[in-house]
Amino acid sequence: MLEVSPTLSRRSLSERGLGFVLLAPAALLLLLIVVYPITALVWNSFFDIHLAEPWRGEPFVGIENYRRAFEDARFWSSLGTTVVYTVVTVPGALLVGLGLALLANMPFRHKWPVRLGLLLPWALPLVFSGLIFRWFFEYRQGIVNDVLVRLGVEPLAWLTEPHLAIAAICFAIVWKSSSFMALMLLAGLQTIPRELYEAAEVDGATRWQKFVSITLPMLRPAIFVALIFRTITAIQTFDIPYAMTGGGPGDSTETLAMYIQKTTLDFLDFGYGSALATIMFVVSMIATSSYLRYTRRSAGRGTGG
Amino acid sequence: MRLPKRRAMVWLAGLIVAVNGFFPALWILATSLKTETELMAYPISYLPAAPTLANYVQAFTEQPLLRFLWNSFVVASLSTALCVLVSACAAYALTRLRVPRRDLIMAGLMAVAMFPLISLMVPLFKVMRDLGLLNTYLALILPYAVLSMPVCTLVMASFFQDIPEDLESAAMVDGCSRVGALFRIVVPLSAPGVFTAAILAFVNAWDEFLLALTMMNRVSMRTLSVGITLYQGEYAFPWPLISAALIVAIVPISILIALFQERVVGGLTAGGVKG
Repeated sequence: MLEVSPTLSRRSLSERGLGFVLLAPAALLLLLIVVYPITALVWNSFFDIHLAEPWRGEPFVGIENYRRAFEDARFWSSLGTTVVYTVVTVPGALLVGLGLALLANMPFRHKWPVRLGLLLPWALPLVFSGLIFRWFFEYRQGIVNDVLVRLGVEPLAWLTEPHLAIAAICFAIVWKSSSFMALMLLAGLQTIPRELYEAAEVDGATRWQKFVSITLPMLRPAIFVALIFRTITAIQTFDIPYAMTGGGPGDSTETLAMYIQKTTLDFLDFGYGSALATIMFVVSMIATSSYLRYTRRSAGRGTGG
Repeated sequence: MRLPKRRAMVWLAGLIVAVNGFFPALWILATSLKTETELMAYPISYLPAAPTLANYVQAFTEQPLLRFLWNSFVVASLSTALCVLVSACAAYALTRLRVPRRDLIMAGLMAVAMFPLISLMVPLFKVMRDLGLLNTYLALILPYAVLSMPVCTLVMASFFQDIPEDLESAAMVDGCSRVGALFRIVVPLSAPGVFTAAILAFVNAWDEFLLALTMMNRVSMRTLSVGITLYQGEYAFPWPLISAALIVAIVPISILIALFQERVVGGLTAGGVKG
């Protein structure tokens, strides 16, 4: 024992050393691109910083920027719009994604058209999806109004009437995000053992009964993970409304992320922008921590994780 | 009687999923082949009456589309290379070496994966501005490499785990060092995992918009995702032109996805569901 332990501990020590060396580049990059900027973000949010007017200096203003946000109508309206997008598109994408996953789980002879049909929307840049749907919802030449007219309905001013613009944007977000959701749910569906369905069939279960008592419960971990993923990205919605309406008409479709971007880059009001971005950061981290808590717990139980 | 009906249902299901995925791209393709006059016609036409490539020619001449393509390619490939290298090292350390607090490191990585980009963009803009890196490739390569790091690390870690540790031990008994074993045994055997991670990182970088919009304000440094928004005028929206540019931008990434679809699906679900 006495002879073995020194070599063993030396080996594990060198392994540990190598481990740290291998982790160092990742840690360094994280420090430079994430940890330092986020620290600077919170720090800057307590100062009055105007990038275009450096002669004004950068006076410390305490929580003034946060107080200003509290009284800023545009902050609240952009936050409200973000909440609307989240509340509509999270369940929307789940329902559409679940539908697509169930359809894609059928026994196809050729799998690739279906798989590619799910992958393409995922691979399409968000901002391109926004542009394409802007084209779809165009008043005169858009295909949506064309279909409406053919059905004998009056064409709608999709992108210039606030409520319709929000609806159109939600539609585009659901289309774009439901495919990724479908892919994750499909992976979950494929882990459900066939025997469960066979046993249910022997017991004379209907299709609906099988769905409710086998598919849904077995899919629960995948659904939960997909929902949280979607929620976290919905809070950050930027590209699709940016491409479809630019936040208009007025500020009616503007999200918090868009308002932060405008405050910082167009108005160059850096201190205030930092405070808004800090608020966004805190909200997202609350959502993320609930996700991490869930995956940890399920990993401990040996399911899902 | 039952069998053909079932076959028809399977067909229909496949058709719905495929149409849902392909339709927007196909519609843009049809638009890109129409002339301005045909586009203005009312009611609208579905298929181009006299397909023309004029919009593609104009898309390349009106804006430096080739330059946008090149910028996107440079940024995406270099950030992918950096990301895969760094993530491979991290994934190896986390799966094979006795690194303390492994769970905490993994959880930290996942938290980074879900960071709000907008919150990162604000201070990062100032960092890059102060470093004089605005309008350089580095301003996008570094953040993109970091943003894909969590997914790539998770994907590669799940592949490393499947390689039997005995193989490595055997190599080390034969006089190979740890690092030698990493490059001679683990990396070749986990090539599919490394490749999957690379595709995911590449697509992420190719698609990113917010940072690209922020870090590059010189037209010649724009990447595709931002460059395409430059076709729109103050009031006019030249749809045939934008459609042509969109098709040019979508084709490379679609080919990549089509060729390696199984890999991509595997990687996505490994990073997500298995997480």
